[in-house]
Amino acid sequence: MFYFIEGIEKAFQLIFALDREIFAIVLLSLRISLTAIMLASLIGGPLGFLMAVKDYWGKKFTVVLVNTLLALPTVVVGLIVYSLISRRGPMGVFGILYTPSAMIIGQFILATPIIIALTYSAVQGIDKRVRNTALTLGATESQSAWMVIKEARYAVLAAVIAGFGRVIAEVGAAMLLGGNIKGSTRTMTTAIALETSKGEFGFGIALGIILLIIAFSVNILLHYFQSKQVGI
Amino acid sequence: MNEPILKIKNIKKIYNGRIVLDIESLNFQKRKIYAIVGPNGSGKTTLLNILNLLLKPDKGQIFFREQEIINQSDSKLLEIRRKITLVNQDPFLFHSTVHDNIAYGLKIRSLSSAEQLIRVKHALEMVGLPDFEKRSVDQLSGGEAQRVVIARALVIEPEILFLDEPTTSIDQKYIDIVERIIKKIQKEIETTVIFTTHDLSQAYRLADEVISLLNGKIIKQVPENLLWGEIIEVDGSKWFNVVENIKFAVVTEKVGSAYISIDPRDIILSYERFLSSARNSFLGKITKIIEQNHLVKLEVDIGVPLATIITRESFQDMNLNLGSNVYLTFKASAVKLY
Repeated sequence: MFYFIEGIEKAFQLIFALDREIFAIVLLSLRISLTAIMLASLIGGPLGFLMAVKDYWGKKFTVVLVNTLLALPTVVVGLIVYSLISRRGPMGVFGILYTPSAMIIGQFILATPIIIALTYSAVQGIDKRVRNTALTLGATESQSAWMVIKEARYAVLAAVIAGFGRVIAEVGAAMLLGGNIKGSTRTMTTAIALETSKGEFGFGIALGIILLIIAFSVNILLHYFQSKQVGI
Repeated sequence: MNEPILKIKNIKKIYNGRIVLDIESLNFQKRKIYAIVGPNGSGKTTLLNILNLLLKPDKGQIFFREQEIINQSDSKLLEIRRKITLVNQDPFLFHSTVHDNIAYGLKIRSLSSAEQLIRVKHALEMVGLPDFEKRSVDQLSGGEAQRVVIARALVIEPEILFLDEPTTSIDQKYIDIVERIIKKIQKEIETTVIFTTHDLSQAYRLADEVISLLNGKIIKQVPENLLWGEIIEVDGSKWFNVVENIKFAVVTEKVGSAYISIDPRDIILSYERFLSSARNSFLGKITKIIEQNHLVKLEVDIGVPLATIITRESFQDMNLNLGSNVYLTFKASAVKLY
């Protein structure tokens, strides 16, 4: 038990001393996850929107598919992307395995279904009169679509935050695709896994505390935006 | 007569194999107010939505200023759509401020912010809600919300303003306000106003022309012997007070101002008052005789003019002339209330 208390003590020392290595890892994690979430929003947001407003053949199937993808195990995503980008894979020529780009791809795949599914339900929940009202006031189809998104703004933001919460905390894909290389692809989660196995509890706990704080903040934001949307 | 701003020809709309709208031709003049009346399911809203281009008819043509518009390109259609607007029966306000709502139509027309501010202010003054710009729409009462919706439509200065049952979902006390606003819009921004209502008296109060729909078709005859008056209660029975000293016995639950109509075929004409179950009998003078094939339509002045229709045989047997004194008799249940 003693080593654990010692670890916590060490963790706070590291955090309050603004330990360089710790903060480099935190910043890298944020950079990778924020980039992934931005890309996922750019793709997933419009897709979720289109799924909600358009009637097309196989709509039910895509809804079920996207919802299934929500539960995608992170290691499986890591494995699939790994097989594609490893040197023997079809995209091996790019040489991106064990780089932040590889991790961004993995996290993008994890976050996109979340953003699609939550945007889909957000837009579905929007009053059908929004579109007609915009149209009767002279809006073009795209202007009316933008109005629908604006009406769903808090729910769409909540979708993005939920996606971020998932990727910042995942370890499977980051480990497989990033390789946990110090200074290059070592993120909070992979560092915790490594340092713990090395017995460096203090370092691991320090990162764990920061990760918890981030996760906690994300959830507060998520809750805030969800309650805002309900008020709408 | 000036050229119509909006015209439809041979319009048909079919839902599930049933014809819900079948109109041969209809013209709307500039700067006039039109009411589309009819019971629920008569096709009022379908007609309104075809006119405002939300709905495509299955057959027929629509002309905006003599220009056919159904098969126009999207950009041309948008241009026309931007000259008209609709206020829905169950209107929706965007979750934002009053200003943002009213300015929306101006924003998408790329007007400058300064221009938007001026026009929003003016629109709010017109509906009697000055200085409401910064309010959130959540803080509005039902009547205020309805007026903001109207302001949002009129700020565009549309050439045609459509209103679907503008006073159905609001409190009685706001109806008068909304009606006055509609009149004001037509006068001040020279808009053609087309609205639906199931309140016939409202239609006659506001409109220059009333279009009556039944089962998706226009009924040409406006109800005959249409009179405006007051329903009063005397000793437990209801009377319709037309003018002083003339009261019709009526069957109704309500009191207050109303329109009534009496089918001319339901009125019996006689030289003498006779004993019957009919509770209305009035002495009058024949002022007009119109012969229509086998029937004769007579106008009798009993203090107000009432039309009655009798067969040509009766007309000849009774030897009726202009100026003859006759009694008109009809049952209380023959008086139709609106």
